[in-house]
Amino acid sequence: MKQIQMTTNPSFSLISTKKVIQMSDVWSSYDSKNFALEGINLSIDRGTIYSIVGQSGSGKSTLLKLMNGMMVPGKGIIKIDYVTPDMNNKKFKTMMHTIGYIPQSLGLIKNITVLDNILIGALPRLNKIQSLLKKFPENEVKEAKRILQLVGLTGKENRKVYMISGGEKRRVAIARALMQKPTILLADEIVSELDHVTAHEIMDLIIDVQKRTNLTAIMVHHDMQLALEYANRVAVIKDGKKILEIGVEGDNIVDFQTGDMTTEEIMEMYSDDPKK
Amino acid sequence: MTPKNNIIIGIIVALLVIASYNVDANPIDFVEGLPNLVIILEEIVAVEPKYIPTALWAMFETIQMAFIGTVVGIAIALPLSMLAARNLNSKFVYAPIRALLAAIRTFPSILWALLFVIMVGTGTFAGVLAIIMYTIGFITKLQYEAIETIDSDPMDAVGSIGVSKIQLISYVVIPESASHLLSQMLYMFDYNIRQTSILGLVGAGGIGFYIINYIKFFEYGKAAIFMLVVLITVLIIDWVSVKIRDKYIIKSQHGMDVPTK
Ligand SMILES: Nc1ncnc2c1ncn2[C@@H]1O[C@H](COP(=O)(O)OP(=O)(O)OP(=O)(O)O)[C@@H](O)[C@H]1O
Ligand SMILES: [Mg+2]
Repeated sequence: MKQIQMTTNPSFSLISTKKVIQMSDVWSSYDSKNFALEGINLSIDRGTIYSIVGQSGSGKSTLLKLMNGMMVPGKGIIKIDYVTPDMNNKKFKTMMHTIGYIPQSLGLIKNITVLDNILIGALPRLNKIQSLLKKFPENEVKEAKRILQLVGLTGKENRKVYMISGGEKRRVAIARALMQKPTILLADEIVSELDHVTAHEIMDLIIDVQKRTNLTAIMVHHDMQLALEYANRVAVIKDGKKILEIGVEGDNIVDFQTGDMTTEEIMEMYSDDPKK
Repeated sequence: MTPKNNIIIGIIVALLVIASYNVDANPIDFVEGLPNLVIILEEIVAVEPKYIPTALWAMFETIQMAFIGTVVGIAIALPLSMLAARNLNSKFVYAPIRALLAAIRTFPSILWALLFVIMVGTGTFAGVLAIIMYTIGFITKLQYEAIETIDSDPMDAVGSIGVSKIQLISYVVIPESASHLLSQMLYMFDYNIRQTSILGLVGAGGIGFYIINYIKFFEYGKAAIFMLVVLITVLIIDWVSVKIRDKYIIKSQHGMDVPTK
């Protein structure tokens, strides 16, 4: 496991010029009274891994839903590749084809097969006739089978989703997202609740794809240690506010934004093993 | 049993007696009428066997009417139910469609049959049209309710890929609700056979047409033979659809109950 050392000198040299996701003073709520997110600012570089950590109910899932246009903010500006994310915006709807979103609940279709679930990721690439006849072209089926193998589901392709395990379901959801040939991946706690070995296996797999395809991955985690291990940046959310953003540079942690608490205090709060 | 319950039961019994008196439902008449059944039985035995093929043919015609009515009705109902589902459409789409469907549902099939007899004349066509209308009103409601109960997670997840509404319906909504939709279709066909059997009473074809005419001419034996054919057919169809439901539908519904997490 990575040894964490703190450096106090914030180094902004990490920031590249190419921003994929930008949020400026974003407020969001489900009802008129309570805000799920309050004044979020962030910017994410292309080809990096950005992790979001925070307690249950802090607003992590909401943040992801804003990034894929399923929700629109009450206030503030969001840009994904300089386009405002909104399902009803035609231009963004086309961009959604290559934004892989893995919701916390996974959102698989339970009574169709694993392979058919994965193929869903290729739906935007079908023409009208293929879509109507539910006939995926040979190369897409081949690609789906390749991804199926990649995520370790060989031999399970014809199982119905209700007949596979929880960890396997996560792999199906990942495969469906990869099938989209994504440029951005939004993953909501896909390795929480999994054993250590499986969690690392799945994370390694995603990192591997991320490196090869220059994917930008935004991943929500429960476990700070895991987040630090795999991310270039880690943002900590508490009660809808971003209270900390740290960069991970080799073995060093760079503090980009400190609020009321010291970085060490926050790290301790969100680490699985506080003594570390 | 609490005193309160006794009062409620007392009130129900009192209402039952009053209502029976008002509609002239006298149990004594029923008991006195029982021997008439024996007379009918005698008449049944006396009926010449040559009527049986006619009865079977009339039943077959009835099944065909029910089949056409159910299939065409469902073909119209399915897209309508997609438009009437609240989780797929805005209020401006589903509200008027629901109002229209509610209006269609106010008519029982026999009234639709009457209306179509007036419109297109007596015969099977009027009956088929009546079954179509009834099926549309009835099955659309069942189906949009089934569609509204499907899990929103897969809809959101697939929706976030930016697929079209048609793709969402054919790749998520239909597979997720297929077992409900199928079992409702079977039920509808089953039910429509019974309904079609009586549409003949108003001249809309099918076996009921024979039954009402025999009754008019006091040929109770023949009428009873035809009614027996209806009874047996309905029992058989009921049994077959239970088998189909067990084999194909209960199994897949069971799978739907398994939670994702
Ligand atoms: N559909 C919804 N309707 C109303 N309120 C919601 C809804 N979804 C989330 N919330 C509220 O918004 C806040 C943030 O929720 P969110 O799901 O973003 O938290 P989270 O950080 O993802 O939590 P968890 O780790 O438990 O998944 C919470 O207070 C939650 O109760
Ligand atoms: Mg969440």
